[in-house]
Amino acid sequence: MILPAKFRWIFLPVLLAPIAAFAHHAYTAEFDTTKPVKLSGVLTRVEWSNPHIWIYLDVKDEKGNITNWGFSASPPGMLQRRGITKTALKLGEVLTITGHRAKDGSNNASGNVVTFADGRDALIGQDQALNPAEARSNAGKKQ
Amino acid sequence: MPDGKPKFSGVWAGPAFIHNVGPNDSDSPRVTNFDRAKMAPFLPGAEGKFYQRPTGDLRHDDPTELCLPDGHPREALAPYAQQIVQTPDEIVILYEYMHFFRVIPIGKPHPADIEPTFMGNAVAAWEGDALVIDTIGLREWTLSASNGWHSDALHTIERLKHIDAATVSYEITIDDPKIFTRPWSQTFEMKLHPTWSLLEQVCEENNRCQGGNCAPAESQKGK
Repeated sequence: MILPAKFRWIFLPVLLAPIAAFAHHAYTAEFDTTKPVKLSGVLTRVEWSNPHIWIYLDVKDEKGNITNWGFSASPPGMLQRRGITKTALKLGEVLTITGHRAKDGSNNASGNVVTFADGRDALIGQDQALNPAEARSNAGKKQ
Repeated sequence: MPDGKPKFSGVWAGPAFIHNVGPNDSDSPRVTNFDRAKMAPFLPGAEGKFYQRPTGDLRHDDPTELCLPDGHPREALAPYAQQIVQTPDEIVILYEYMHFFRVIPIGKPHPADIEPTFMGNAVAAWEGDALVIDTIGLREWTLSASNGWHSDALHTIERLKHIDAATVSYEITIDDPKIFTRPWSQTFEMKLHPTWSLLEQVCEENNRCQGGNCAPAESQKGK
């Protein structure tokens, strides 16, 4: 596999697994579980809408070029039941998000765990984890 | 309740929550499926009807990706809140996910002629303190998010009974005589959340990567 050096990707070893189902759809219908991503950038937009919220980061590459990445996370209802509200995401803040890249190769991905600038992290994702550590453990093996 | 029956009215975290109740009345949603180990054996030749091969058509392979309904009983296992409205004559279950509902008369029989639907035809009865909901008239559809397909002969029996004031045992019996050799059951728990109210959930609102093809967001155009 040729890694896109343009971005600071972290590829993790993966095992092929049967399709797992999620709140709205089969995760693997939209995301490539062989391509885990971990990207950091400035939060530019939050779409707190169904069937999944979208979080957008301006991600700067090594040459200083900026690309706007979209991350599809849990539905608003599931986040609210976990105690996470839209106010947790502040525009202009630097976030790191882990997930899997969209199957169509666009600059979109699932967003499973968000890490804030102060080191706090939160489970925001579509996978079936119950906490960030479990989501990280799932990455690349349980999707 | 004025009629002396146990009260089920309220907003509940259903079977698809782990019920790790946290601060501010939070809970832990998790997509839930039926346990294969609890299922009855398949009828000869029925395993292929249950685990249907992908066809390449999302309407078949992953219908909720297109915002098609969960149907019963998958809707009950969705990781969203559900509200029960109880009167002496009927039970109304409002599901947050995709705004589905069931209006269930108490003490009445099923109609004689039922057109199969996603949610089916349900009637309820009291068996002591247990509320028992009997559902038929279901079209062939997915049984749960990761399980296979039930047939149009599916008949379910849901038995709701209080464990304590805020916890209900939810037992569902799957009786599909075209798929399984006998009925089988699985029991979950539901937790009452007094501060919750149902949220709007419009699946078509921003289904941006439908079918695996992501439409670019405004902020991604021209960059």
